[in-house]
Amino acid sequence: MQYVTVDGERRSLSEKLLILSDAAKYDVACTSSGVERRGNGRDMGNCVAAGICHSFSGDGRCISLLKILMTNECVYDCKYCRNRSTSDIPRATFTPEEICTLTMEFYRRNYIEGLFLSSGILRNPDYTMELLFRTLWLLRNRYRFNGYIHVKAIPGADPELIGKTGYLADRMSVNLELPTAEGLRTLAPSKHRKNILTPMRRIQNGIQANRNDLVLYRSAPRFVSGGQSTQMIVGATPESDWQIMNVAESLYRKFDLKRVFYSAFVNVTGDSALPALPGGPPLLREHRLYQADWLLRFYGFRASELLDEKHPFFNVLLDPKEDWAIRNLGQFPVEINRAPLEQLLRVPGIGVNSARRIVAARRSAALTFSDLKKIGVVLKRALYFITCGGRMLYPVKLEEDYIVRNLTDRRDRVRFGSDGMTYRQMSLFDDGVFSRPVRPVEQAQDAVGQL
Amino acid sequence: MLIYVCEDSLEGIFTGIYRAYEEKRDPLDTALSLTDDPVLFAEKTAVEPDGTRAFKVGRTLRRRFGEDDYLRLCQALAAEDERKAQAVYRTVARGLETNCRPGHLFDSLADDNVQTAFSLARGAGREIGHLQGFVRFQELKDRILYAVIGPKNNVLTFLMPHFADRLPGENFVLFDRERNLFGVHPAYREWYLFQGETEEPVLCPTKEEERYRELFRAFIRGIEIQERRNPQLQAKLLPRHFREYMTEFQNAGGQKSAK
Ligand code: SF4
Repeated sequence: MQYVTVDGERRSLSEKLLILSDAAKYDVACTSSGVERRGNGRDMGNCVAAGICHSFSGDGRCISLLKILMTNECVYDCKYCRNRSTSDIPRATFTPEEICTLTMEFYRRNYIEGLFLSSGILRNPDYTMELLFRTLWLLRNRYRFNGYIHVKAIPGADPELIGKTGYLADRMSVNLELPTAEGLRTLAPSKHRKNILTPMRRIQNGIQANRNDLVLYRSAPRFVSGGQSTQMIVGATPESDWQIMNVAESLYRKFDLKRVFYSAFVNVTGDSALPALPGGPPLLREHRLYQADWLLRFYGFRASELLDEKHPFFNVLLDPKEDWAIRNLGQFPVEINRAPLEQLLRVPGIGVNSARRIVAARRSAALTFSDLKKIGVVLKRALYFITCGGRMLYPVKLEEDYIVRNLTDRRDRVRFGSDGMTYRQMSLFDDGVFSRPVRPVEQAQDAVGQL
Repeated sequence: MLIYVCEDSLEGIFTGIYRAYEEKRDPLDTALSLTDDPVLFAEKTAVEPDGTRAFKVGRTLRRRFGEDDYLRLCQALAAEDERKAQAVYRTVARGLETNCRPGHLFDSLADDNVQTAFSLARGAGREIGHLQGFVRFQELKDRILYAVIGPKNNVLTFLMPHFADRLPGENFVLFDRERNLFGVHPAYREWYLFQGETEEPVLCPTKEEERYRELFRAFIRGIEIQERRNPQLQAKLLPRHFREYMTEFQNAGGQKSAK
């Protein structure tokens, strides 16, 4: 094993920051949403439930939190990770004070919404967790930081320690890493599914117990009040979209997770056990998973409605909702002026906000197609599936081939033509409706129906 | 038709609404305007902004329509758009007439005025949301924080409470260059606005400040995933006109980078 530990101690703060933000960037979660906490008039910081994006990096991802590893030293050797013990890269470790100072000074200048702190495994899980705890403790109690903190729980660390850390954080997460135990065994031999699910369960129980405490004493300290999240790498192992959606669904149901993140696999180690991905990371696939995740959380869909064993991957050309609608034409067209909210939500081109606005607006007047446009419905996608006052926008055949051709037509011509462009290139030409990572601000806004 | 010509401010427009009600005008035969352009067959009367009356109107609207919709009305009035006075007036008139419940003022989106007020509020609200994230403070002498913005809408009033809440112990100044308007927050005290009269101050960052800017730029560089590079997407989510004021898009000398 090649360590460059000694060097690491002598690095400048900016070198460390470069190394340790670079090392943290494959963790996708950067949202600061889900917690509303007003300032206390004394300490620095507050939290805004909708989340705030402070910048967008050159890859188009939102930057909300100071996302760093405490250290990229790691005793484990996960094959997909650049920080694996056998990899020959520059190493660095922050001191807790350095992390606190960076957080405070960045926050004052409004660069960030808070801190996202993860870490490689330094010596052992307990030692690492202890350092994370100490950093958060300092930040909250010495530096008096009242903004958002997302911290990783280190699998295999003392549950007591994880519990104590949870009282200082707004969100905690344990990465599932790979969708199945099988995948984990091949690519991350030192990690075990059980070691990941155990802390996840503990955090869930902690949150539940804390809710009860809060009912009894309003001033009880808050435990991970922004909820728990996790992430899976997509495309490093051969699982199907169907398997991944089922895992996500049960995480939401059984572990009460706030968010599941999907991370298109980027091959940074070139390990022989990993797929080569000549077309770049599977970005379109990741995007489809996020769209489907949305459908599970806000649109009342179940995973089994979207995919099944015979049909285990999402459609490349249609988004999951369009795909579902096409396969269930019997349920359409839907009458805008009468259909219940749940049914409106299932119409392609109608989002959560537009569906709510339709329900509100039709109380005072029967809606026409031009009203729908004002409300924000994407008519060119919805028109095949709706009627207003019993009439369709113009006569269309409610027939699978015809609709698919029309829905994909504009995209085919405009965006990927016939010159064999890959998914990766397609995402460069996205138009917001079609392919784009969802911003945390929008997520939360969707969630609470804000505008 | 009677047209009340109001000053372009919350106070001015609220006073206009007050007058229309005081004088028991029929909303369908009444309009609020911000300009003095000639209109055929219309009579005009100028409205002198009045703090007390505007305050009463604000109080009534808040009580009748609820906090959220009241905020939305105010955001619509922050929009840089001449239609706003009329749209807000008619939206309010409709809400009062139909006796709508709090939180439902903007339900009737099929109504053009409601729709206009709604989309103006949404536009201003979006800009407020963007700026809550994109504002960049720099530290001057004595740890004073200073930021410049150039918003399309008149949103400084909405940004000040946000920053005052999260930075209670900081002396900070937020400067709207488009309107020459300063928002000032002295540590642990109430914030206030004032209209600038002099030239915009020229500032030079401290050494310490330069260091943090460089650190932030290092962070932004480090966090990007090259394999996912997508400047179009970035440009859509972070429109270019904001970048002029953002640290990460400036070079070390404070110049705008060509990137
Ligand atoms: S535990 Fe595995 S994934 Fe985490 S830093 Fe170490 S090698 Fe990378």
